[in-house]
Amino acid sequence: MNDYSKEAQKALASPRLQASLHTLQDRFGKGAMALWANMEDQEMRRRVKKSRLKNLEHLDILLAELARNVRARGGKVYFAETAQDAIDYTLKVARDNKVKRVVKGKSMISMEIGIDPALEEDGIEVVETDLGEYIIQLAGDKPSHIIAPCIHMDRKQIGQLFAEKLGMDYTDDPPTLTMAARKELREKLLSADMGLTGCNLACAETGHISLVSNEGNIRMATTMPPVHVALMGMERIVATLEEHRETVQLLTRGAALQKLSTYVSFTGGPSSADDPDGPKEFHLVIIDNGRAKILADPEFREVLACIRCGACLNICPVYGRIGGHAYNSSYCGPIGAVITPLLDGINKHADLCKGETLCGACKDICPVQIDLPRMLAALRQKLAYASDRWDTRQHNPAEAYGFTIWRLIITRKPLYRSLLKIGRLFQRVFIKKNNMISSMAGIASGWTDGRDLPPIAKKTFTELWEEKYRNRQAAAAPETEENQ
Amino acid sequence: MDHNQAFFLGNIRTALGEAPHSERVKSMFPKLFASPDTTEIRQKIAGRTVAEQDELVEIFLKNGNSLNICSHIVASSDAAAAVVVELIRSKEPEFNHTKHVIGHDHPDIAALQLWKRFNREAVTVHTAFNSDRQVQEKTIASFIGITAPTIGVADSATLIQLTEPGRPRSTSLLPSIHIAIMRREHIVADLQEAYTLLRGRAHLDSLVFISGPSKTADIEAHMVHGAHGPREVHLIILAEPSAAGSDAATTEAA
Ligand code: SF4
Repeated sequence: MNDYSKEAQKALASPRLQASLHTLQDRFGKGAMALWANMEDQEMRRRVKKSRLKNLEHLDILLAELARNVRARGGKVYFAETAQDAIDYTLKVARDNKVKRVVKGKSMISMEIGIDPALEEDGIEVVETDLGEYIIQLAGDKPSHIIAPCIHMDRKQIGQLFAEKLGMDYTDDPPTLTMAARKELREKLLSADMGLTGCNLACAETGHISLVSNEGNIRMATTMPPVHVALMGMERIVATLEEHRETVQLLTRGAALQKLSTYVSFTGGPSSADDPDGPKEFHLVIIDNGRAKILADPEFREVLACIRCGACLNICPVYGRIGGHAYNSSYCGPIGAVITPLLDGINKHADLCKGETLCGACKDICPVQIDLPRMLAALRQKLAYASDRWDTRQHNPAEAYGFTIWRLIITRKPLYRSLLKIGRLFQRVFIKKNNMISSMAGIASGWTDGRDLPPIAKKTFTELWEEKYRNRQAAAAPETEENQ
Repeated sequence: MDHNQAFFLGNIRTALGEAPHSERVKSMFPKLFASPDTTEIRQKIAGRTVAEQDELVEIFLKNGNSLNICSHIVASSDAAAAVVVELIRSKEPEFNHTKHVIGHDHPDIAALQLWKRFNREAVTVHTAFNSDRQVQEKTIASFIGITAPTIGVADSATLIQLTEPGRPRSTSLLPSIHIAIMRREHIVADLQEAYTLLRGRAHLDSLVFISGPSKTADIEAHMVHGAHGPREVHLIILAEPSAAGSDAATTEAA
C-alpha cells in the first residue's frame, strides 16, 4: 500500500483527529459559505479573481516595480529561480550577519523550499513562533493544516509535550499552555538575530510586503531581530493598494471568517537609522521554484491566483476525513492536490489528484473561485495519457488498455449485452447477504478492499424502459399532469 | 537591475508568451496601476458632522467589543489621563515586578502629563523619544504601551499605527497591555476610506493594522488572548465637545 493510503487509513482510525476535523469544517467551512452568501458586495470575489489573473499576466512588470520600490527604501531584493538559490541567499545573509538564532513567522514557502534543515546544518537555531507551528516543531511533527497546523493534536498530547520539553508541570489547560509558550518564545524573539517570514501579499505600487497574523508573532519576528528575510512566492503580489484592500479581506475571511486578522503588517524596507526597533537589514527573496512553468501552461495558470487562505481544506470531504498528513507535502487539501504535483512532480504525487472526489466544494468556497476540480481532472488526464510538458509517464498503462477494451465493448450493443449476461451469472458467487459484493478476485480486489460494490442490476435501464414503455407511445400527456 | 532579476523576469515573459529579452515597462500599461478616483471619499471624510462622527464611534465600539477591545469615551485629556492612571494602578506587570509604562512621542499622549501623576507610587513613565538610545530596553521593561494611532476604522474595529520618528512599532507590541488614544475625528467608516487616507503615507517603511488583542486558537480551537502581542487592548476615544481640531483626520492622515 502506498503512503497516501497508509496515512489516510491512519487518520480514519483516529477518532480524535476525526472529531477535530469535523469541528473545524463545521465551523469554518460552513461559516465561509454563509459569509459569501451574505456578503453585501457579491461582485467582490469575481473582481479580485479578475485582478489576480490580470496581475499574473503582467507579473514581470509588477515584480520589477515592487523591487524598485523596496530598493528605493534601502531594502535588498533577490530573485531566486530555484529553492536552492533561495536557500543559498538566505544562508549567505545569515552568515554575513553571524546569525545564531532565527525566529520564524509561519511561512509555507519556507517549508516548500526546505530552508530549516539548511539553516540547522549551518549550526543555526531555528525557532517557529506561531504557537501551532511551535508545538509541531517541539513534537518533531509535520503541520496538517494551512491555518491550524496542529489540528491533529489534542490538549492532552500538547500538555505532555510541554511537560516533557519545557519542564513545566503537566496541564491540559489551553490558556496555561499558551502562556507558557508565550514566555518561552518571548525570550527567543527578543534575542534572535534574524526574523524569517513569508509574504501573504505584496503591493507593487507602494513596495510593501504585508503579513497577516492573529498572535503577533510575525510582528515580533519582523520588529525585534536586526535582520528580516521575507520569502515570497512570486505570484503573491497585487498592483495597487486598492487591490490589496479587497484581496487581504478575502484572505482573512476565507481563512478564519475575520473581517481582518488581528494584525496586518506592512514592511517595505529596513527601519530608519533613528528607529529604536525594526530590522536594520531587510531582504526580500522572490521565489520561482517551478511557478513560471505553471504560469506558462494556460490549463494551470489559474492556480497561481490562490491566496493560500486554506478555506478549501475546510470544506473538502476528502481532507475532512484523511487530514493533512496523507498529502505528504507542505500544501495539503484541494489546493495541495493541485499545486504539489505541479511544483514537485505529477507522477511523484499521482495519488493526490486521484484521491479528491471532484465534488466541486473547493471551488464554491474559494474566495477567488479557483476552479480546482477542473485542474484535478486535468492532472488526471496528464497521468492517463502522459504529457511531455509535465514530463509525466502514463501512470497506469493497464488502465489505458482496460479503457480501450471497454470502448470496444460498449460501442457494440450485442456484445455488450451478452457480456452483461455472463457477468450477472458470474457475479453470483460474490454477492453477500447484504446484497452487495464485498470482495472480488485478483486485480479486481482493489475495488472492494475499502468498500462494497453493488452487483450488476438484473435488468439494464434500457431493458426496463423497453419493457415498460414499449406500448405506451402517448405517455407524455398524463405524466405532465402528474407533475403539476 | 542585476543579472538574476533579468533572467527571472525573462522567464516570466517567456511563460507569458512575450519576448524574454525586451523588458516591459510600466508606462506602457497605464491601466495596470490605475486606481479609482478618491476625491469623493476624501470629501465625505472631510465633511463629516460631529453627529456622524459619533455614529462611527458607536459602530467602532460595537465591533471592537466583539474583538475584545475595551473602549472608553472621554471628553478631555484629563479624563483620558484618569482612565490611563486607573489602568496603570489596577493592572499588574506580567514579565517583571516593576511598573514601567512607555508612550509614543505624540501631543495627545504628552497632554496626559502622566509623569506628574505618580509622584508617590513606584511607576516609571517613559516616552519613546527619537533621540533616546534606550527606548528598546525601556519598551521591553514596560507592561503598558501607549500609542495614538493615526486612523481608526469603525467597520473592522481597526487601529492603524504608522511607524514614525518617536513612534516605534514595539510600543504597541511588547507590553502586555496596549492603550490607544484616538480623537473621535480620526475614525473613518471602513477600510476603503482608510486606504484612501493611507495613499499619502505609502512611502513609510512600516505600518500595522491592529484589530484587537493578540490571540490564538491553535490548541483545540480554544481562544486564548495574549499569544505574543498584548493580551489587552484599551481604546480611549477623545471626543472633545468643541469643534476644534475637527479637520484633524484629513490634516494628520492625508
Ligand atoms: S485555492 Fe482558494 S480556497 Fe484554497 S487556499 Fe487557495 S485561495 Fe484559499
